[in-house]
Amino acid sequence: MPNRRFDQARPFLMLGVVFLAWLFLPTAFKRFARISFYEFQAPADVAASYVRDLQDFWSLRTRSNAELVAAARDLQRVNASYELRLQEDARLRAEIRRLEALLRLPSFAEFRSEPARVVRRDFGVWWQRLVVRKGSNHGVRVGSPVIYVGGLVGRVSEVRGNTSVVELIGSPGVRLAAAFEGDDRPVSFQGGINPPMRPAEAAIEFVPLDVFATPAAPRRLVTSGIGGAYPPGLAVGEVVQLEPSTDGLFKSGRARLDPRLGRLTEVTILVPLDPDFPSLEAVQP
Amino acid sequence: MFHSFRQVLALLGCWAVLCAMIGQANHHLSALAITISAPGLIVAFAALRLPLGAGLAAVFTAGLWLDAAAPVAFGRHAALLGLAFCIVHRLRGRLPRNETVVGVVAALFVNLGLFVALAFMDLGELPDPAAAGTRLLADLGVSQLFTALAGPWFLALQHATLRLIGVAPVQVTSRFA
Repeated sequence: MPNRRFDQARPFLMLGVVFLAWLFLPTAFKRFARISFYEFQAPADVAASYVRDLQDFWSLRTRSNAELVAAARDLQRVNASYELRLQEDARLRAEIRRLEALLRLPSFAEFRSEPARVVRRDFGVWWQRLVVRKGSNHGVRVGSPVIYVGGLVGRVSEVRGNTSVVELIGSPGVRLAAAFEGDDRPVSFQGGINPPMRPAEAAIEFVPLDVFATPAAPRRLVTSGIGGAYPPGLAVGEVVQLEPSTDGLFKSGRARLDPRLGRLTEVTILVPLDPDFPSLEAVQP
Repeated sequence: MFHSFRQVLALLGCWAVLCAMIGQANHHLSALAITISAPGLIVAFAALRLPLGAGLAAVFTAGLWLDAAAPVAFGRHAALLGLAFCIVHRLRGRLPRNETVVGVVAALFVNLGLFVALAFMDLGELPDPAAAGTRLLADLGVSQLFTALAGPWFLALQHATLRLIGVAPVQVTSRFA
C-alpha cells in the first residue's frame, strides 16, 4: 500500500524537485535562458511579418493603372501640404531656439525618429504589447517613446537584437501624466480594460472639478511632457466620462483610446539623443 | 535517455508551430480585442500518453518558452503547466487515455483551470477588476472553441511526429479498450 501511495504522488514529488532546482538556479542563468527562448521565437514572428508584407505587395500589384494614378495624385497633394508644414516647422524651431537662448531655458529632449514595422500585436487582458522589427542593432533604447499617425502608442519596454517590445498606453500597468488639450494642468492616465469588440479604455484621475466631458462632447487628452518620458502634445485619447471622485477634491473618469491602435502596422520610435534620458531606467523587463 | 530526449524535442517542435499559429491568430484578432490561449493543448498529449520524466521535462520547457514572450516572472507558466501536467498524469490511469475525445476534453479542462488560476493571480493588478469580466469570458469562450476545433488535429500531429522519428509512446491496453 505505501508503495502504491508513493507511486500516486510521484508526479507531484518530481514537480517539487524540479521547482526547487529552478528556484536555486542562478539569476544569470535564468536571464540567459529567457533571452535564448525569446530569440528562438523571434525569427518565426519576423518571417511571418515579411510574408504579410509580400502578400500586401502582390495584392497591390493587382490594382489597375487608373487606381495607381489616382493614388499618386492624392499622395502629391498630401506631400504638398507636408512641404508647407515643414517650412512652418523650421520657422517655429528657429523661434524656440532663439527664445531658449534669450531666456536661458533648458532645451526639450531631442529625439531621432526610427520607423519600424509591427511584427506582432499581443493585446491580452493583462497586457497590450507590440513587437516591432527594430532593436538594439538600430540604436533603439529601453524607455523610448513610440508614436504613430494618431498620437502616442506607448514606450519600448524590452530591446533585443533585431526586435523590440513596445508596451501600449492601453496596457493596465502603464501610467503617465497627461493634460487636456488647451489646459496645462496635469491629470493621471492609466491604461485599463480592453473590452471585446470595442476600443480600449483607460482610467483618468485627479481631474480638476471645472473640467467636463461626456460621450456627446468628449475632451481630447494629450501628453503633458512632465517627467520628460514623453514629448508634450501627443494625442493619448478622448475623455468620454468624468464624475466627482469620492474625496470630492477631484474628478475621475474614463478615456477612450483610438481604435487604430488595434490595427497598427507601422510605428515610429523616438530614440532619445540625450544619453541621460530620464526614463530609461524606469522601464525594465 | 536518448529516446526521451527525442520525444521532448519532437513535442517542443510541434508546440512551437502551435504557438506561432496562435500568435498570428492573436495578431489578426487584436482589432477585435479578443485573445486565444490554448495551454491545454500543450499539456494534454504529454500528460496522457508520455512517461512522467519526458512529459514533465517537455511541459516545463514549453512553459519557459511561453514565459520568455510574456511580461511575467520567468518560470510562472512553467510551474502552472507543470502542476496541470501532474494532475492529468495522476488521473490518466482512470481514463481511456488513447482516445482523441479524452485528449480534447482534458485540454479543455486544463485551459479552464489555468485561465481561472491566472485570473485569480492577476485580477488585482487591473484598475477596475469588475469591468474585466466580459473580456475574460470572451477570451475563454474563443480559446475553448479553438481548443475544441484544433484539438483533434493537434493531438494527431504530435502522435504522427513522434511516430515519424520512431519514438511513438507505447499504446497501453486498458480496461476501457
